[in-house]
Amino acid sequence: MATATAKRITDIGPPHYEKFLHPVVKKNYGTWRYHENIQPGVLCHVAESGDRIYTVRAGSPRLLSVQTLRQFADLADRYADGYLRFTSRHNVEFLLSDREQIAPLVGALAELGFPVGGTNNAISNIVHTQGWVHCHSAATDASGIVKAVMDVLYDRFTHENLPAKLRIALACCLNMCGAVHCSDIAILGVHRRAPKVNHETLPRTCEVPTLIASCPTGAIRPATVAEKASVEVVQEQCMFCGNCYTVCPSMPLNDPENDGLSIWVGGKVSNARSAPAFSKLAIPFIPNNPPRWPEVVDAVVNIVDVYARHARKFERMGEWIARIGWPRFFELTGIPFTRYHLDDFKHAGLSYARSTHIRL
Amino acid sequence: MSIAIESLADDMYQMIAETQGKKNLKAGDLTKAMIAKHGEADCTKDLCKQAIRLLIDSERCVYSYFGGSYITLPHKEGAAPD
Amino acid sequence: MADDDTKTPLLDQLEEGPWPSFVTEIKRAGTKSPVCGDLLGQLEQSYAEKKGHWKHGGIVGVLGYGGGVIGRYSDLPEKYPNVAHFHTMRVNQPAGWFYTSDAIRTLCDIWEEHGSGLTNMHGSTGDIVFLGTRTDQLEPAFKKLTAAGFDLGGSGSSMRTPSCCVGQARCEWACYDTMALCDDLTRSYQDELHRPPFPYKFKIKCSGCPNDCVASIARADLSIIGTWKGEIQQDAGAIAEYAASGLDIQKDVCDRCPTRCMTYERGTLTIENRECVRCMHCINVMPKALGPGTERGATILIGAKAPIVQGALLSSVLVPFVPAEELAETIKELLKRVWEFWDEYGKNRERIGELIQRVGLANFLDAIGLDPVPEMVSAPRDNPFIFYQTDGDGH
Repeated sequence: MATATAKRITDIGPPHYEKFLHPVVKKNYGTWRYHENIQPGVLCHVAESGDRIYTVRAGSPRLLSVQTLRQFADLADRYADGYLRFTSRHNVEFLLSDREQIAPLVGALAELGFPVGGTNNAISNIVHTQGWVHCHSAATDASGIVKAVMDVLYDRFTHENLPAKLRIALACCLNMCGAVHCSDIAILGVHRRAPKVNHETLPRTCEVPTLIASCPTGAIRPATVAEKASVEVVQEQCMFCGNCYTVCPSMPLNDPENDGLSIWVGGKVSNARSAPAFSKLAIPFIPNNPPRWPEVVDAVVNIVDVYARHARKFERMGEWIARIGWPRFFELTGIPFTRYHLDDFKHAGLSYARSTHIRL
Repeated sequence: MSIAIESLADDMYQMIAETQGKKNLKAGDLTKAMIAKHGEADCTKDLCKQAIRLLIDSERCVYSYFGGSYITLPHKEGAAPD
Repeated sequence: MADDDTKTPLLDQLEEGPWPSFVTEIKRAGTKSPVCGDLLGQLEQSYAEKKGHWKHGGIVGVLGYGGGVIGRYSDLPEKYPNVAHFHTMRVNQPAGWFYTSDAIRTLCDIWEEHGSGLTNMHGSTGDIVFLGTRTDQLEPAFKKLTAAGFDLGGSGSSMRTPSCCVGQARCEWACYDTMALCDDLTRSYQDELHRPPFPYKFKIKCSGCPNDCVASIARADLSIIGTWKGEIQQDAGAIAEYAASGLDIQKDVCDRCPTRCMTYERGTLTIENRECVRCMHCINVMPKALGPGTERGATILIGAKAPIVQGALLSSVLVPFVPAEELAETIKELLKRVWEFWDEYGKNRERIGELIQRVGLANFLDAIGLDPVPEMVSAPRDNPFIFYQTDGDGH
């Protein structure tokens, strides 16, 4: 490793954003008046000065090569005065001062294979995690499922034809690096078998007291194995959260036959109309079926289609379900209701029906 | 009188060396231990911060991560290939 | 490597279909980088076996920093030697994720030289993610990054890279300057970002309005969400335009209002602003006609997190309203007190939201010197198990 020298630069933070702002953005900063929708994926923001800036939004796989990023840079130079940005949902946006450049840019993006859309009542890009591409604790791949789902929902990205916004997110384990827990539809990788303790490596890779303390249900107990300090897992107490594995690599819980996906619905982040809400369990388990996970794709598409058919204008997934009730949701989607839908963690009773308000 | 940053760093180093393999220490653990040992009058959080920085920048200690960030003696990465 | 090993029949199926393919991206980067061939090989094996093949490291980084690099190693290093080390660098994004084409090219050049040439634009927290490099490339990459004006983001028990929505750069609803605040906080806490001082991670996210485009209420330990006091701004002419263009204002706007605080009669929209909860629905539907009030600022909320360890939490209200011009100073004072308390009482891997759940909001407020106000709760307690204080009257 390099040694410290006087010239070493640290703690400078990111470049200041101001030098990356389009001149029209800089000039009208803080004085935008309203916006209009030009077409799916294209917005026009109008400033008090009368200036207009056009945004063209395109979907990306999030995992991008430098070659593709350079192509985005070239497109920015050619059509958008050299300026671009990215959104919180991994879309790329080009900022144009010239309306005439919209059509050629959309055409150029299409030629490179990047769809324009994801605005308003379209499905935006799927926020997702690393999966098997880069993560040690993944119960599934992320990019592959996202690709398979978006291939089928492609027209929902390029058309704004849903009752309201619909946000899908995917996390490949309960750590939820993608924080999927407040999404209209969340696809969540799950483990279903307790960690298998590697007694050989554990004593030198992990600190036993920290490991025991890491378990939220107290399922990990000290044990002496082959005269070495190790641990044992009380199987019935394990809820497969994987916290112990993050603390101690000798507690792997990957299991090809038992890892898979769960599907959650009805969460939201925005405060519009109803309060922000967590997603609720719809499907407890679907096995991993790479490379295209057809069962997961079908499950998501089914929920989207049923929602699109039945929800009223402006109703997000959770708002629609609140109106029709969960029994009707399960009936319309054909998803079986099981024992796994009943909460048994902290404050579980808050989710039990505590009234006779039942749609019979 | 405030304790010198160098000797604070030495104290921390000793503590880390003694607990290595038994208990991992976080920046907060070291800070609390040093304040308990030297008293709040002579040992502030800010001094502890500087002492930790000295330990890390001099490469006597390293940050390591397993579900939390600890300050440990330099060692071979368990997961790294030979 | 034998020819058979370079074939990826499963992954190749993910190059079909209309959505842009990450497999294609890995192959593109592979034209320059030998890392990508082994990455595809290992990934193909994962697809065949339904199992990941990464081990997480805990020690690699750049000199002096305890965050910003995620150590990663293949568990099949003999078979895929080019990904034996496959560390990630988190590079702090510019506020609002704005770039020039030249800045993008600079980043590409650095990562092509010192890494796999694969990126995430961006990671979930907001960083530019440089995917995959060897330990010996970390320092050279870092040196080039800082020379180009970039720095690393956070990881481990540090403050994580703050992020913000597009804010006043391109949104009429931003009730404060999210990008300026995000940039200010990022610069002010470089030490907390790079040298993990906390029991666990701490995330800050700045959204300009209650639409919360960076999901701060779901994901940030400290959520700063723009809002306003006083009356929603109205443009009667534009309201008439929306009505004329076919919008059913009664049904689509008034009837969807959560507090039913608006009526539309004979072409006039009347809003009972005292009853408005600033949900944004009416403004979202008629952006040309309605806008947030002119007395702007933010609500500060605390404690959101994903499920690990004690269950997911949404942030809850800490300060109902702070005027925009006082935000930076108020947040810095609050953070000082919150971090002091967390340092003292937080357990390993306990987020601030979990600590508040454990000790109770009242004790937390005492510790940071805030008075309880009714905006902090959806309702007062409904159980009678009150810890009456014996020293003092507890009123």
